[in-house]
Amino acid sequence: MKSLILKDLYNIGHHSRSMLLMLLIFGVIFLPTNGLISYVIMCCVMCSMMIVTTFAFDENAKWTKYAVIMPVSKNQIVLSKFIVLLIFTVIGTLVGSIVGGIGGALIQVFDYARLEDWINLITTSGIGLVIAFFFGSIVIPLLYKYGAEKARVLSLVAFVLPVVACVGLYKVLLTLGFVFSDRLVFTGMMLSPVLVLIWSIFMYKISCKIFGQQEF
Amino acid sequence: MNEYVLEVNDVVKRYLDFTLDKVSFKVPKGSIVGLIGENGAGKSTTINIALDLVRKEQGTVTVLGQEIPNEAHHWKEDVGVVFDGINFHEALTPLEIGKILSSGYKQWDDKVYQNYLAKFQLAQNKRIKDFSKGMKTKLCIAAALSHDPKLLILDEATSGLDPVMRDDMLDVFLDFVQDENHSILMSSHITTDLEKVADYIVLIHQGKIILSQSKDELIYNYGIIRCGAALFEALDKSEILAYRKCDFQWEVLVADKAKFKKQYRDAVIDNASIDDILLLYVKGEQAK
Repeated sequence: MKSLILKDLYNIGHHSRSMLLMLLIFGVIFLPTNGLISYVIMCCVMCSMMIVTTFAFDENAKWTKYAVIMPVSKNQIVLSKFIVLLIFTVIGTLVGSIVGGIGGALIQVFDYARLEDWINLITTSGIGLVIAFFFGSIVIPLLYKYGAEKARVLSLVAFVLPVVACVGLYKVLLTLGFVFSDRLVFTGMMLSPVLVLIWSIFMYKISCKIFGQQEF
Repeated sequence: MNEYVLEVNDVVKRYLDFTLDKVSFKVPKGSIVGLIGENGAGKSTTINIALDLVRKEQGTVTVLGQEIPNEAHHWKEDVGVVFDGINFHEALTPLEIGKILSSGYKQWDDKVYQNYLAKFQLAQNKRIKDFSKGMKTKLCIAAALSHDPKLLILDEATSGLDPVMRDDMLDVFLDFVQDENHSILMSSHITTDLEKVADYIVLIHQGKIILSQSKDELIYNYGIIRCGAALFEALDKSEILAYRKCDFQWEVLVADKAKFKKQYRDAVIDNASIDDILLLYVKGEQAK
């Protein structure tokens, strides 16, 4: 399985400069206008979406047929994609935090001498990581089912649906008089990595089922 | 000990417009088996089923003594595969491919891989997209041979190579089977290559195995009678394998040319090349 992860890292590594440049440009554009939180989360999501690019590369090279004849199981091939997603998401979190931190300090929206700003940045990075991994794990089964090109379009729907559902639920609860206390929000944030982990295991199982039925 | 590295028995696979119908053949240890047939005959489907890339509906496939599909995937360590066209990403270099595959195969021998890269004159740090088709094929062959496979499966692997490169590759394959534990299953359109290296020929036509014979038997015993209508009518049809009417004569494939030479002294009986045999089976009619 290490070989499959290494393959994706080498492939994306050859395109890393353009990605980094794009994140820097977005930093210049979005940090002053949208703020640090939006920028960090955007970096996490953009990097996690490189998983779609790895599928596109694989399709182009007809790699999956070769991967299946390697001494790895089909489930390991699927698992490698989830691990690569996690690696990309962590890279996005780190780049977003570093560029966001430095850029934020330059435009004075982040004060590196204030502990509160650091806590905010670390919390935002954690939230960004969880959100990006959540979305990425929705996209992987779509990629296995429909291929990279169709999944790109469908992933937009996959992003919008959970967001609309969450916002809808939030509004309904507000209407019903539910109070979102700081304690509740904090508990939700603490639980979110566990919930996303359970969610991604579910997505992994679905992906394995789809991939297991495929012929090459 | 099993004397066959690959056994395909009564394999059936149905598609809407094509059926692989009870395909059976074996690859003995230490031999090269050539799988021939026209485009769409079922060669690649057969190979894909043997590699568990395509699910079969009936029959059994045994690779190195293990029935496929198998939950354990260790048998794949001993099988090297080269498909028609490269399966590696164009942005990668041979050096990176080596690192990727060395993490994938326990038996990977980097020294062997480096030797093949040097032998095939493949630059380690050059991106694959800058390689010619021949160089890409060489890289695939180098990768397939560097994890000490016992069975090498080549699906039209040499079809994109020029005659000189093909000859070099055939030498590599012959070297590989010098070890009696090594075997090759090789599908190819270029039957002259198979005449040079194959020990056995399996002919597949419209999803069915038409013949599975030792190459020497085909080359030395099979013959083509070229005759007029009168002689064709006089021929013992039970001894005929296939025939076709050409412009001015009949071409008749027989399994024992010596016997026919004795029986029909005036007939012109030529040696049959694998190409001739393929053409007569595919384009001619098979005797009942």
